[in-house]
Amino acid sequence: MMPQLVTARWRRRDGRRRRLFLPVVPIVLLLSPLLVFTVIGGIVACLMYGLPPLRTLAGVGRLFGALPGARFEFEQGRTAVFVSVR
Amino acid sequence: MNEQRRQILQMLAEGKITADEAERLLTAVETVEEPDAAPARGKARPKYLRLIVDANDEHSGETKVNIRVPLKLLRAGMRLAVFVPPQALERANQELVKQGVPIDLTEIKPNQLEDLVDALDDLTLDVDQTDTKVRIYCE
Repeated sequence: MMPQLVTARWRRRDGRRRRLFLPVVPIVLLLSPLLVFTVIGGIVACLMYGLPPLRTLAGVGRLFGALPGARFEFEQGRTAVFVSVR
Repeated sequence: MNEQRRQILQMLAEGKITADEAERLLTAVETVEEPDAAPARGKARPKYLRLIVDANDEHSGETKVNIRVPLKLLRAGMRLAVFVPPQALERANQELVKQGVPIDLTEIKPNQLEDLVDALDDLTLDVDQTDTKVRIYCE
């Protein structure tokens, strides 16, 4: 399943907290023109290195689809970072 | 052995395809097969690999790391590793030899990587030192 929401939270040294919610689908739609160029670039790179473009694209898609559930949390002193993919 | 694998091996035996083509076809067949189709075990299979580090250093203070990686992500990454160009693997091999690690990455097959990820299900690693605790397990 495609990731729906990426949540990022961090706390700076001065103790201020920030939160960022990134809805993946709208962002992908917004960046879709750029994605077309990225995909074309990827296909050209695949052909240059003799890789099967469709299978490589499917592999990247599978990697992207496996992201939900991933979570990263780091805390050191007064600095903290939290990233979660749902 | 299923019918598709048998056909691929038959074509290889008859010389219709090369060993490399056969390997690619077998990989493709395995990709199509559902990885979770293994016989159900008594307990539910773990979904995530968890890494927890709790360290207390005099210099940097208390440090906590908590990482949860879906096992599906590991499997997908391993499958993508199949597409690494052979010349890149050769270069990596040369660098590994330079560093004193004589591992031939070209000898590692996708099936072995899959088995490695499957075997992670039962992994539990605990490192307990006076000021550092590391725990790696599947949940």
